[in-house]
Amino acid sequence: MSCHELERLFVAGSPDSQAKAHRDGCAECARVAADLEHTETLVSGLKAPEWSPKLRQALLAIPSLTANCEQAGALIAALVEGEIGDAEERRLRHHFARCSGCAEASETLAAARGLVAPEPPAWLATRLAASRPPRKKSLWRSALSGKMVVVYAYAAAILVMVMGLNPTAVVRKAGFASLGESTRSAVVVAESSVGDRLGAFQEKALRTLAVWTGHVGGYGRAAVSNAIALVWRSESKKTPTRPRSAKEGGAASLPAEIRLAGHAGAEPFAARFRV
Amino acid sequence: MSTSDEKDLVARCREGQDDAWRDLVDRFGHKVYAIAYHFTLKREDAEELSQEIFLKLFENLHRYDGGFPLVAWVLSVSRNLCIDRYRRRKREKSFRFVSDEAVTAMLPSEDDPAKAALRKERAQMLFSALADVPEDLAEILILRDLNGLAYDEIGKALELPEGTVKSRLFRARAEVARRIRERQESRNAPGAFASIAMAAAGLV
Repeated sequence: MSCHELERLFVAGSPDSQAKAHRDGCAECARVAADLEHTETLVSGLKAPEWSPKLRQALLAIPSLTANCEQAGALIAALVEGEIGDAEERRLRHHFARCSGCAEASETLAAARGLVAPEPPAWLATRLAASRPPRKKSLWRSALSGKMVVVYAYAAAILVMVMGLNPTAVVRKAGFASLGESTRSAVVVAESSVGDRLGAFQEKALRTLAVWTGHVGGYGRAAVSNAIALVWRSESKKTPTRPRSAKEGGAASLPAEIRLAGHAGAEPFAARFRV
Repeated sequence: MSTSDEKDLVARCREGQDDAWRDLVDRFGHKVYAIAYHFTLKREDAEELSQEIFLKLFENLHRYDGGFPLVAWVLSVSRNLCIDRYRRRKREKSFRFVSDEAVTAMLPSEDDPAKAALRKERAQMLFSALADVPEDLAEILILRDLNGLAYDEIGKALELPEGTVKSRLFRARAEVARRIRERQESRNAPGAFASIAMAAAGLV
């Protein structure tokens, strides 16, 4: 078909008179027009058969037989919780057969409920135990605890020693056998170690006292030497300003009598104090 | 029914209201069945296809936004199913054969047996020629000439401009008529009876 004028007029919705005018002057389009009329004749009067009441009932029943994706959400939740009725479950299963997305969602949710919590690693348990706040004890529990019994024993032993008595002898005289089991064991501990502990305490105290004494002595000697140096400078008419470095005749150039005996390299006072 | 009324109808269907779904079925049930019948040409297949279409409508209610007439939306939802069924039928060897039963169901009752026979023969010729026409042309002719859908409804359903719908319809009608004419001409040609007889005997 080379002439498309008839088709153009039809698509444009032109009046039949225009199509007829063209058809009368174009043999090709006249033949096409005859074909169209023939088809129209064949088609006219053809009607599809009526739908049956059975089909209507089947169509009406669709919502009760299946679910759509919107309804499936709530039904899946009920299914996972095990709170779904038989009819609703049938609707949902029917929907699953047609909708892989909802079926997959349901499977995933069901699988998630069956998951087992993994065992915590050992380090986590340790950390949790370490971070637990200390348990508060009542005053009576604290006062009667095993540690406090030992403390009482030490205190009693020291008191006895201060009074000039032998703690072991005192305990023996006091009737050791009549004491309770826990007290007895505490006294045994105290008896066996109190001498050593007191000896160690005394030794440590003496050592600390010696250090304090040394420091005080050292500071005192340093103070005395500084005072002498000041007096020396004030008495000397030609006392120069204090040299700033050893090259200029600093500490190394000071007279031997103002150097502190026993001080390493005669350090300046301020430096040692800082230490 | 206006577009807003149609949107409201769909909304009520989504809420699960039985009366709304009944309205929808009664409004479109016959139309859908007619389209399904013209694509399948068998009662049982048309009923099965209609159920499939309404099932899909039910599953896709949330997709209707009221943007165009409900009939066009129903048609757009059913189109792929109809075309699938049409292609399946086309693969069958008997696709071009249209039974008496298939066309008789579409014809009005006729007292005159001669007239009834002529109408039946014409209807068979029509559907046989339609089977040879390209699918996109046959589809338009079924929707417009056999089911009476409007151009804009067909255009919206098939996502085609109205001009394209009209152009395809024009070509579909012309093509169907041309094939019918050619068959009649070959039937009336000298020696046609002999060639038909030889074909029937398996000699050709």
